[in-house]
Amino acid sequence: MATRFRTVQGGRRQSNNEAYFDYSLLFTVLFLIGFGLMMIYSSSSYKANLDYEDSAFFLKKQLTAALLGIVCMVVVSRIPYHFWERLVVPAYITSVILILLVKTPLGITSHGATRWIRIWKFSLQPAEVAKLCMIIFLACLVCKMGKQIRVMKGLIALMIPPGIIAVMVWRITKNMSSAIIILGIAMLMIFVASPDYKRFIIMAVLGIVGVALIVFAIVKMAESPEMMEKLEFRGLRILAWLNPEAYADDKGFQPLQALYAIGSGGIFGKGLGESIQKLGFLPEAQNDMIFSIICEELGLFGAMAVMLLFLLLIWRCMIIANNAPDLFGALLVVGVMGHLAIQVILNIAVCTNVIPNTGISLPFISYGGSSVMFLLVEIGIVLNVGRSIRLKDL
Amino acid sequence: MSSKNKTYNRKKVVALFFFCMAAFFLLFIRLIDLMIFQSAYYTDKSVQLHERERSIKAARGRILDRNGVVLADNKTVCTISVIHSQLEDQEAVIAFLCEKLELSEEFVRKRVEKVSSMERIRSNVPKELGDEIREADLPGVKVDEDYKRYYPYDALASKVLGFTGGDNQGIIGLEVIYDEYLSGEEGEILTLTDAAGVEIEAASEHRREPVPGNDLVLSLDYNIQSYATQLAKQVMATKEADRVSLIVMNPKNGEIMAMVDVPEFNLNEPYTLTPEYEALRAKEEARKQAALEAKAAKEAEAGDEEVKEAEEKSEEELKQEKLNGMWRNGCINDTYEPGSTFKVITAAAALESGCVALSDTFSCPGFIVVDDRRIRCHKAGGHGAEDFTAGICNSCNPVFVTLGLRIGASRYYDCLKQFGLLEKTGVDLPGEAGTIMHRKDAIGNVELATMSFGQSFQITPLQLATTVSSLVNGGRRITPHLAVEAVDAEGKRLESFEKEAGRQIVSPETSETLQMLLEKVVSEGGGSKAQIEGYKIGGKTATSQTLPRGSGRYIASFVGFSPADDPEVLALVVIHSPQGTYYGGQIAAPVIRQLFENVLPYLEK
Repeated sequence: MATRFRTVQGGRRQSNNEAYFDYSLLFTVLFLIGFGLMMIYSSSSYKANLDYEDSAFFLKKQLTAALLGIVCMVVVSRIPYHFWERLVVPAYITSVILILLVKTPLGITSHGATRWIRIWKFSLQPAEVAKLCMIIFLACLVCKMGKQIRVMKGLIALMIPPGIIAVMVWRITKNMSSAIIILGIAMLMIFVASPDYKRFIIMAVLGIVGVALIVFAIVKMAESPEMMEKLEFRGLRILAWLNPEAYADDKGFQPLQALYAIGSGGIFGKGLGESIQKLGFLPEAQNDMIFSIICEELGLFGAMAVMLLFLLLIWRCMIIANNAPDLFGALLVVGVMGHLAIQVILNIAVCTNVIPNTGISLPFISYGGSSVMFLLVEIGIVLNVGRSIRLKDL
Repeated sequence: MSSKNKTYNRKKVVALFFFCMAAFFLLFIRLIDLMIFQSAYYTDKSVQLHERERSIKAARGRILDRNGVVLADNKTVCTISVIHSQLEDQEAVIAFLCEKLELSEEFVRKRVEKVSSMERIRSNVPKELGDEIREADLPGVKVDEDYKRYYPYDALASKVLGFTGGDNQGIIGLEVIYDEYLSGEEGEILTLTDAAGVEIEAASEHRREPVPGNDLVLSLDYNIQSYATQLAKQVMATKEADRVSLIVMNPKNGEIMAMVDVPEFNLNEPYTLTPEYEALRAKEEARKQAALEAKAAKEAEAGDEEVKEAEEKSEEELKQEKLNGMWRNGCINDTYEPGSTFKVITAAAALESGCVALSDTFSCPGFIVVDDRRIRCHKAGGHGAEDFTAGICNSCNPVFVTLGLRIGASRYYDCLKQFGLLEKTGVDLPGEAGTIMHRKDAIGNVELATMSFGQSFQITPLQLATTVSSLVNGGRRITPHLAVEAVDAEGKRLESFEKEAGRQIVSPETSETLQMLLEKVVSEGGGSKAQIEGYKIGGKTATSQTLPRGSGRYIASFVGFSPADDPEVLALVVIHSPQGTYYGGQIAAPVIRQLFENVLPYLEK
């Protein structure tokens, strides 16, 4: 029997009862982190040297966070994932408290938004904690709910807890993109948990129509000068998205600079380290816009390689989710999978100006300590779910 | 253990995966579009953003006189610019530049606050001031050195040489006409910069060296020009004249040796109105006002009460108009009634068409009746009986009216055309005025009569000098010109601007006769004040009324050449509105005599 299963997975095992461990997932993640560190150094060293007189300033901080994250990942991958079930309520409460802490003196303001809190020597983004907590919380809730999920009432009830967190992230930390991601993760998890398709398709269509109507309204508003003044910066972002060159001095600046970077990369790129846009032209080059710098330096092929790596990651998540011993494990993995997929897709879409500019980081690659640490914890959970796969179950 | 993983869950996870794959695929299509099909566009845009182009001014070619005296040169000046992204303290920079450059705050602020890679605040700043600004070492303020046009002799030949604007382009005069030879080619430096405008050292720098302009050699002679200017100024002062134009040229090839039109202006400060010009302007304004008042009084008498609205001009327009007036070169930009000097042309036409012989005799009773008009001679009692030679020596109007009528309107007009009088001279200066002449079919006897002694039409002084030159040089039409050649930095000739003598407009015999007649005018007739012992000088005087007639103002002029039998130099002086004695023979001829007294020995050397 063993020979038959060997063809199914790339996992290493010695006997039918041996624990499965997804090395492909682990190595893909480690490679992405290594690649991310390299790109962070490439894209930030010039500015870091000017601003902090240390070209490795961002690299060092990210490296610390990544190492810490890897330790966390290893630890978490050893904790049986059912352990988290017990922490569901405290986790939910913790994320609410952390978000509220932003409003206290612990909050750190940067780039005009208060999204971080300071804990001892580290800064932490509550939204990242909330994403992780939401995945665990929802997975647990779905399992508790049982057949209730098949009726509309159950679906709506499921949407309430993530909805509250999303609104809090949006209104309190002024972080709309994280709120969207939290809602998106919740939607995807509920989609997988529910046997229904129709409702989700209707919701998706309604959502698309709604967004189109809002964009249309903003464009119409922009036609009259007095209404134009009422448009806040999100409205302007939409206009800048539609025509970045007309708003090149304002909201269109960053998207346009990103397009310059991507477009000037061409098929093979300018070569590693040769980006010009990173020399202060492209704001947040090492952060949300790092994919543009990858395109500029490594070209279309580099960008394709990065996208394929992420696809590989998502594919491994799919395999683990579908082989998880129970629904709770599967939903945990689906949550992580959704989180990764949403951030990668939205980040690349922002860089290529497919959607309006909003701050979404590229998982494992963008600069940001909280983000990489919590992503690694999530990967740790996925790895543990993977471990619990018994080969005889396959 | 909670509920078991169901089949529909697995299907949905797979659906989720394919959904992600689809999204990735669409994004990849977008990347292909951006990085292959729109790559050139965005590369171009980003290069524009990254490259800073700094132009390097080319040194403008010098202008030299016939002996190599430098009339227009370059000196080092500075251009002050601001690099927006390098500014640290905008307000300090604005205040500093306002103070140092003496510019309005609004002007400086607009430029300093503009988000551009580099904004020019002011060019042509003296080197000392530029050094001062550089030493202040304000971040974001850049001082570049370049060249500025410099005229060592300030006002000398100002209206001929012209001056240049901020971008090294000619504004008036020879600087305009020979701009393409003088200007050279700007060089440029292309450097890659970061967003703060800091040049990236590792990046290669593209540099195109500027090509300096070529030198222009003129036929103008510094010494003659200075002396002529001095004479013109002197006569303008003593006769309290409005303006004095003086042209000295070589009648054989059209090379202009001096062209003066006082009052001139300082070429190094062309936008400053000179007191001389302001005074002239005030005089003209007063006259205009008086004329208007006289007219208004007349109209009031006639009961015609029309309120004359004063033309309101903005300060700026008025200043520009004044500047244009100051820069006008009366020798070529303005026309006047030549008066008796034009009798040379009538005599030539008559001789050439065989309408007169030297032996012909005329009788002058002091006037001549043409149709119903009585045209007076300037000598009230008349010259009595006289031959043609005496007629020209006396500058006798009835004699020339008779000649004109003998020639006839059609033939006379054809002669003028033949002499080149109806076209522009083709001098290498901008804005030459054309001849203002009756239409051929509108010339009646009265018009013909007045034309024959130089009235009822207008030409430029240069046109007269050129035509007389052509008539006495053996009869070939010449093209007056100032530029002789363009030479490169090593003095090698690149292009010659010398003009071949043109078509034969009168026979050599006629020309010879004219030489003889005009020599007589100086030795025996009205031009005697131009006589210099030991030199054969030919010439003709003129005294014409300034238009409109009855203003009581005159134009005294004299055209002279020497040696009379083989002219090497010809000079024309035109004195506008002299006070006191206004006869050309009395006040204009002596100017030419003084000029020739110095120029003739000088040219023999």
